[in-house]
This record gives sequence, structure tokens and C-alpha cells, in this order.
Amino acid sequence: MNFRFIIADVKANFKQWIRSKGTVFWTLLFPILLILIFGSIFSGSGDTSYSLIIQNMDDTVHSSMFLDQLENISMIKIEEIDRSENISLYMQEHGYASGLRIPSDFGESIQQSPMNSSLSSLLTFYVDPSQQTTTSIVQTIVSSTLQEYNLALSGGRHVVSLQQEEIIANDFSFIDYFVPGMIGFTIMTSCIYGSIERNTKFRKDGILRKMQTMPVSQMDWILAKMLFMLFLSFLSTSVILLFGLVVWGLQIHITIFSILIIIATSLLFSGMGMIIGRFVKEEETADMAGGAITFPMMFLSGTFFPFEQMPSYLQVIAQGLPLYYVNEALRNTMIYADMDKTIYFTAFVLLFAVVFFIVGVMVTKWKED
Amino acid sequence: MQKQVKCPSCTHVFSVSGNSGDIKKINCPQCNTFGKVSFSTKRSITPAIEVRQLRKEYGSLTAVNNISFTVKKGEVFAFLGPNGAGKTTTVEMIESIRKPSNGNISIFGKNVTDSFDQIKEKIGILPQEFHSFERLTIRETLEYFASLFEKQADIDEIIAAMHLSDDEDKLYKQLSGGLKQRVGVAISLVNDPDIVFLDEPTTGLDPKARREVWDVIARLRNKGKTVFLTTHYMEEAEYLADHIAIIHKGSIIAEGTLDELINKHGKGSILKFTKCDVNLVKNALESFGYHVKKANNHDVLVSIQYKDQILEVLSLLRKNAINYDNIDIHRPNLEELFLQLTGARLQEESA
Repeated sequence: MNFRFIIADVKANFKQWIRSKGTVFWTLLFPILLILIFGSIFSGSGDTSYSLIIQNMDDTVHSSMFLDQLENISMIKIEEIDRSENISLYMQEHGYASGLRIPSDFGESIQQSPMNSSLSSLLTFYVDPSQQTTTSIVQTIVSSTLQEYNLALSGGRHVVSLQQEEIIANDFSFIDYFVPGMIGFTIMTSCIYGSIERNTKFRKDGILRKMQTMPVSQMDWILAKMLFMLFLSFLSTSVILLFGLVVWGLQIHITIFSILIIIATSLLFSGMGMIIGRFVKEEETADMAGGAITFPMMFLSGTFFPFEQMPSYLQVIAQGLPLYYVNEALRNTMIYADMDKTIYFTAFVLLFAVVFFIVGVMVTKWKED
Repeated sequence: MQKQVKCPSCTHVFSVSGNSGDIKKINCPQCNTFGKVSFSTKRSITPAIEVRQLRKEYGSLTAVNNISFTVKKGEVFAFLGPNGAGKTTTVEMIESIRKPSNGNISIFGKNVTDSFDQIKEKIGILPQEFHSFERLTIRETLEYFASLFEKQADIDEIIAAMHLSDDEDKLYKQLSGGLKQRVGVAISLVNDPDIVFLDEPTTGLDPKARREVWDVIARLRNKGKTVFLTTHYMEEAEYLADHIAIIHKGSIIAEGTLDELINKHGKGSILKFTKCDVNLVKNALESFGYHVKKANNHDVLVSIQYKDQILEVLSLLRKNAINYDNIDIHRPNLEELFLQLTGARLQEESA
């Protein structure tokens, strides 16, 4: 291994990168701009579907009547789940922002309320704090329905009341959800386009031909470029996190998994760029091919909005896209701190990284036919 | 160094000593005949590059067709031919960028296929249409490429020798075409190579920039470097090359020094006599086998095959008391030679 070359190449790459205003913009400033724009938009808007999960633990006609009353409200779409489900987990897994649990003593409390004025039944309203706008609208609707119900039952006394529970322990906001997606997206674009440039522009400019006549191996060259791409990935991740922290008060866990995912993501998308650069030899066409791959992946993989909001057929497509696993792995380790899911999604990211990087290295050829 | 000299008059053999580059005036110790002996460093019989029966096929297309040639150490070897003749394919096979379909290539006696890793340290290459990293300065570029080699030339010296000192802190993308090509040549020198391969180094340059690159190549020759130059500019080969191989449609159609090529393949020279009577000249020369042609009302053209015939023509004209104002001797150039050999013009084929 030619360490002298690797060091020289990383240094040269850094100098060229810092002197390219466009590249610096796309790597650092563009993600920041997106965070600002999307953060502002989504902090003030809500989910238009206003879905509400109901878990009814009560067997009496009273809960059925209350549910009928809720169902009559056109703004709310109700979905009832089985009593055996864990409502918080169900909401997380299926992407629901609001849930309501009707306790088993609901009917009994109402039946006995005329005799015992101290009896009260407590309904639990579950919210996803990352979708505050949506949940507050639904909560307002549920509260007012409950108020009407109380009024009809007891002339205003709180026979049934509402308590709130967040489905995630921390107070997350949309930006917490969005930032890991931005990290995945930024690494994807810089690695894919970086690899494309090395494999098309450098081939056109004769740099690859020159390199193969010099005492440096193709592996040294790839290794040097990868080191620089890793440096860029960590740099852009740090800048995004720092910016999110300062401007949006980001709450994120940095774990060993985050680092592993960033490394694997850099390898994954560099490998993908090498494959594109190998088979699409014209510089402009390769850029277009890069765009054709990165843009749909960006929108379909839950970078900007939850995957669950997409139609089911698009969700099936998304599950075949590497960026989906990167986003989910980063979110689960950085936001949800869900170790099981982190391991599950990280395993996919590692698998994709190994496959794409090995294929990328194998198809990268300096030698002409 | 010592050199054995044979006197052309008395055939006496004696030794003369001198330094490389000297041209010594000598007298034969036996018959006192005067002569000159030159001591050259750059001419050597040891081949720098040897190519034998080299062939490259792409499917049914034969790009290079069993060519063989030798490049001596210290010479500028021009590989001349139109675009698509097989020049770059050949040079890229020598540089181990492309795999030959058949044939042998050796550099300093080492087979390129087996020993290219060792050879890399001794050669410098400027690929065709080469562009370096746009956002590195000239100095950074040279330092970057030098870092790849065990043996490194002095970057300051290269910058000075290539006349790049005024622009060394400019980014590559800010340079003119001529400067970029000079940087390309400079990059090929960062390991102080013994052989420099320059593939079409002046293509696309204006005449001034082209001349600048020629000066650089001439300086390389003066430093004793072997230069393998591919070009489709005949004036470039004429100006720079010690040895020329002309390639056409994958085959070498002529090879030698400029004089050898013209003497062997050119149809002699043309003598042009101005303000002269064509009928008188015809009467005086045609009976001796000379071809005489009228150029315009006053000028006459006479074709000759050998240099000695100039004197014969002049003495025949004098003998017949034929007057003329002036004589021009027109020697055929490589362009005309290429036309004679292929029936096509070099520049037209390249266009």
C-alpha cells in the first residue's frame, strides 16, 4: 500500500474540494438550506388525514356510543385495533400520530356515575410528538367530543376525562425526524456524484490513463478516494447536526451505530457511483443517470416525509431502495434509540454496502480494451 | 571518452579522445588529412524501446498491423500519421494501457508485459488530450504527481526549465492551452524519467503555443532524454525528430531520419531557374535524361534525383551558355512524401 500517495491524494482532494464553491454548497450549505426550509414548513403544518387509532378495552354500549359520536366527525378517520396490541408500538410501527385508549371501566363508570359522583374514567390519548400540529388538532376534537359526552351524561361533571401520553419518551419534533434523512441524502449525493466524477471526467481528461502508467495501484487510488469521501461524509454530518442543534434545538443520540452507518453509507453510494461511472461513460449522461437514481430514491425513501404516508405500492418499492434502510437505521439509532430496529436496518445497510462496494471496485477498470 | 577513427584517404586507424558533445578538428597522423570527429552523448546503439510484430485487433478491425521499430536512447522518435492511423493505440500498448493482440514490446530490454511496474519509475507520460486537476496550482500538481514516485526530480528545477515560474501559483483551470500542455510535459518529468512519451502534445494549440511546446521538447533532447512523440503535424516531426516512422492504416509505411526518408521515398528535388528560356534548357538537358518543365513565361523547373546532379545541370547550362537570374532548390517535405506514399494528404486525413 502506497501511504505516501494516499496522504497526498487526500490532501489534493481536500484542496480541490474547498476551492470548488459549487461542491461545498451542495455538500454543506444545500442540506442546511433544506433543513431550514423543510423545518419551517413542517413545523407549522399538519397531517391532513387526521387518523386516530382506537383501542377499546370496554365491552359496554357506552363506549360504542362514544365511538359512534367520534366516527360522525368527518375530519377524523378512525381505525380500531385489537386489545392485545401495544398501542404505542402499533402507532410507531404504522406511523400513526394519534391514538385513544378507552379503559375497561369506561361503561361501568358511566353507569354508576349517578350514584357515585366521585367515579371517573380516564381515557388515554397517545401522541407522536414529532407531529405536534396533527396531534393537537385531533386532541382538540377528541376533547370537545368528550366534553359534549360529559355534558349529556352529567350536566358537565367529568365522568370521563382525558390524559395525554407520548409514544416516544423524548420530546421530538419534525426536525429530529428530518435531520437523519438529510444526513443520508447528503452522503448519498456527495458519494454518488464524487464517484461519477472520478470515473467519467477523470477518464475523459486522461487522468485515469496517466494513473495506470504511474507507480500507484487501482486499490490505493480507490482507498484514497474513499478516505476522502468518508472525511466529507463526517464533515457534512457534523455540520448538519451542529446546525440542527443550534437553530432547531435538535435532540439526537450519537452512537457507535451512527458512525458505522455513516461509513457503510459512504461505501454503499460510492460503490453505486462507481457502477454508474463504469457503464455510463459520457460525463453529462453519467450526471443525468446519477440524478435519475438519487432523486426518486430521495423522495421514495422517507427522507422528507414519513414512509408510511406513501401509497402501499410505493412503500413496496421503497423497501427495495438502500436509502430507505439508511434513513431508518439512522433514525432508529439517532432518534428512537430503538436497538432492535437499529440492528435490523443497519444489517441491511451493511449488506448493501458490501455488495455495492465490491461490485463497484470489480467493475472499475483503468485499463482500456 | 575515446573514439576509433579511420582516415578516409590512407585508411589508417587511430584513436581520438574528447568530451561528450565535443566536435574536434583532427589531422591524420599518417597522411595529415584534415577532418572532424564528434563525440555525442545522446546517440547510442542501445535501444530504449523495441517493438516487434505488434498487433492490435478490435473484432474484425485491425488497428495496428504487425509493426516493428526500434527507438534509440537519447533520440526524439516521431511517430507520424493521420488521426486514426494507429499512433495512440501503439503508444498506449507501449505504455501498458492497452493489451496487444500479439507482439513484443521491451523498454530498456525489459518486457513491458512482465516488468511494467519496474519500468514505470523510468518513464514519463503525457497522454493524448490530458487535463490535470482543475483546482490545483501548477506547483501543487507537480508535487502531487511527484509524490507517487520513489525517485523525484527537483520541482523547482522543472518549473524553471519549463518556464512556468510566473504561473506556478495559478490554478490549472486558469491556464492557457499552451501552458496546460507545458504543465502536462512538466508532469511527465517529475520522476526524472529516461524516456518521455508525448502523445499529440500540440494538437489544438495555436502556432505560438505550439512553438513553446516544441522548445520544451528540444530542451528534453538536449538533456539527453529519449522522447517518443506521436504527431500528425509533419512540420513538428521535421523540426524535432531524429528518427521518424510514418504510420498509415495501422502499418508503418516508411521509417528513417528525415534525410533518409526523403532520399529513399521522395522523388528527388526540383531546381527552379528564374528568367530563363525553357526551350534552350530543354535542348541542353533532356538528352541527358532530365525532365524539364515550364513553370510560367520565364521560369523553368528541372527534376533531379541526387545532389550530385545539381553540379551536372549547372555545368550543362554553362556549357550551352544559357543565362538565368536565380536558382531555387526545392526539397520535398514529409507532406509531399506522405502524398507520394499513400495518395492522400496528411493534413486532410487528420482533419
